Amino acid sequence: MHELSLALEVLGLVTSEAAKNRVKVIHEIQIEIGKISGVESDVFQAALEISARNSILDNARIIIINSPGKGRCMSCSEEFDMEDLLALCPNCQHQPSEITGGRELKVLSMMAE
Amino acid sequence: MCETCGCGQPDNFTIRMPGEELTDDHNRDHDHEHHHEHEHDDDHKHGDRHKHHHEHEEDHPHGHSYEQSSPTPRMIDISKDILSENNLTAERNRGFFEGRSIICLNLVSAPGSGKTTILEKTINERAKEREIFVIEGDQQSMNDAERIKKTGVPVVQINTGAGCHLDARMVNSAIKRLELSRNSVLFIENVGNLVCPALFDLGETKRVVVMSVTEGEDKPEKYPYMFASSHLCIINKTDLLPYVDFNVEKAMEYARRTNPDLEIILMSAKTGEGMQLWYEWIDKNQ
Ligand SMILES: Nc1nc2c(ncn2[C@@H]2O[C@H](COP(=O)(O)OP(=O)(O)O)[C@@H](O)[C@H]2O)c(=O)[nH]1
Ligand SMILES: [Mg+2]
Ligand SMILES: [Zn+2]
Repeated sequence: MHELSLALEVLGLVTSEAAKNRVKVIHEIQIEIGKISGVESDVFQAALEISARNSILDNARIIIINSPGKGRCMSCSEEFDMEDLLALCPNCQHQPSEITGGRELKVLSMMAE
Repeated sequence: MCETCGCGQPDNFTIRMPGEELTDDHNRDHDHEHHHEHEHDDDHKHGDRHKHHHEHEEDHPHGHSYEQSSPTPRMIDISKDILSENNLTAERNRGFFEGRSIICLNLVSAPGSGKTTILEKTINERAKEREIFVIEGDQQSMNDAERIKKTGVPVVQINTGAGCHLDARMVNSAIKRLELSRNSVLFIENVGNLVCPALFDLGETKRVVVMSVTEGEDKPEKYPYMFASSHLCIINKTDLLPYVDFNVEKAMEYARRTNPDLEIILMSAKTGEGMQLWYEWIDKNQ
């Protein structure tokens, strides 16, 4: 359940950002969880909702954006969609030389006052 | 999580040497190092065991960030990696190791693949040539630390409680209990789990994933993140190959599919096969 650890990391990060920006109420928080980041988005959201109780995030709307998995083919250099980490280039069946998207784990922004 | 400051950090891990009693004072190592910018919150009372680092490296212009709070909701840009705090601590650990020419190896595997056995054998055969230190990670038990202690090298146990992986903070606390010497090797045996440790950089020099021939050869395909983030894969218990249905070629192919750069060593910690290659691989990281 690394999703719980990550939820606690988010809570820590948001708490310090709130202090830094002198806000008392957070209405909404936007988080990016890449589709091939190794984090289950639903599990993470549930973990964050539980962790948020009695914290500054208690009543905040949690918005999770799932960025798609993308890789660049090591053979033809085309970018292709990756459903999972093992996905191959649909043109030449080669592995990606690099993963260009979908591994993001990021707190993007918050709506707060 | 951290009750005092509500910072959301798990504080329920403990660190101790074998034979050491768990006293609240000593081992509840709650000196996780915050990189929060706490300058403004004066009413935030902390016990003095908290070490706050008031490093304001994040002084970049946020535009609206430092304005007085206004009564209307506003959008505040954060754009920070969720793991940024862990990664920052991991880099500090890494710098500590590099500065002392310490090779730090993070061993991960499913439970029972042979991590502790490999360490015992490595220590018995190599500790005379090169100083070895061990950090053991486990949810509850001290068993592995007790096993390592018998070999005579310094060891600390991190018990993660409910946590299913080590993180950089835990390792940072643990290395304060070990008097690591220059040019030594520090082995970290992670919690037996092929999922959760994958995301957490500890500051290790290299990550080593261990699988054994009694497991399915499709392990890399089932746990791609662990294999993708590792530098070396040890396929252990090769002495059992005659008795199990395990296709080595296939396992290697699966492993390299998740990670084309993965080095692979076939090993039997029981008979000693592959140990020499392993020692050479370790020394290569200097
Ligand atoms: N046959 C055989 N058994 C091994 C080998 N390495 C470890 N084992 C056994 O596998 C079991 C689990 O080993 P252990 O080192 O505790 O695994 P860990 O959970 O990864 O630390 C023990 O009973 C070991 O004796 C090996 O190379 N060959
Ligand atoms: Mg073990
Ligand atoms: Zn291609």
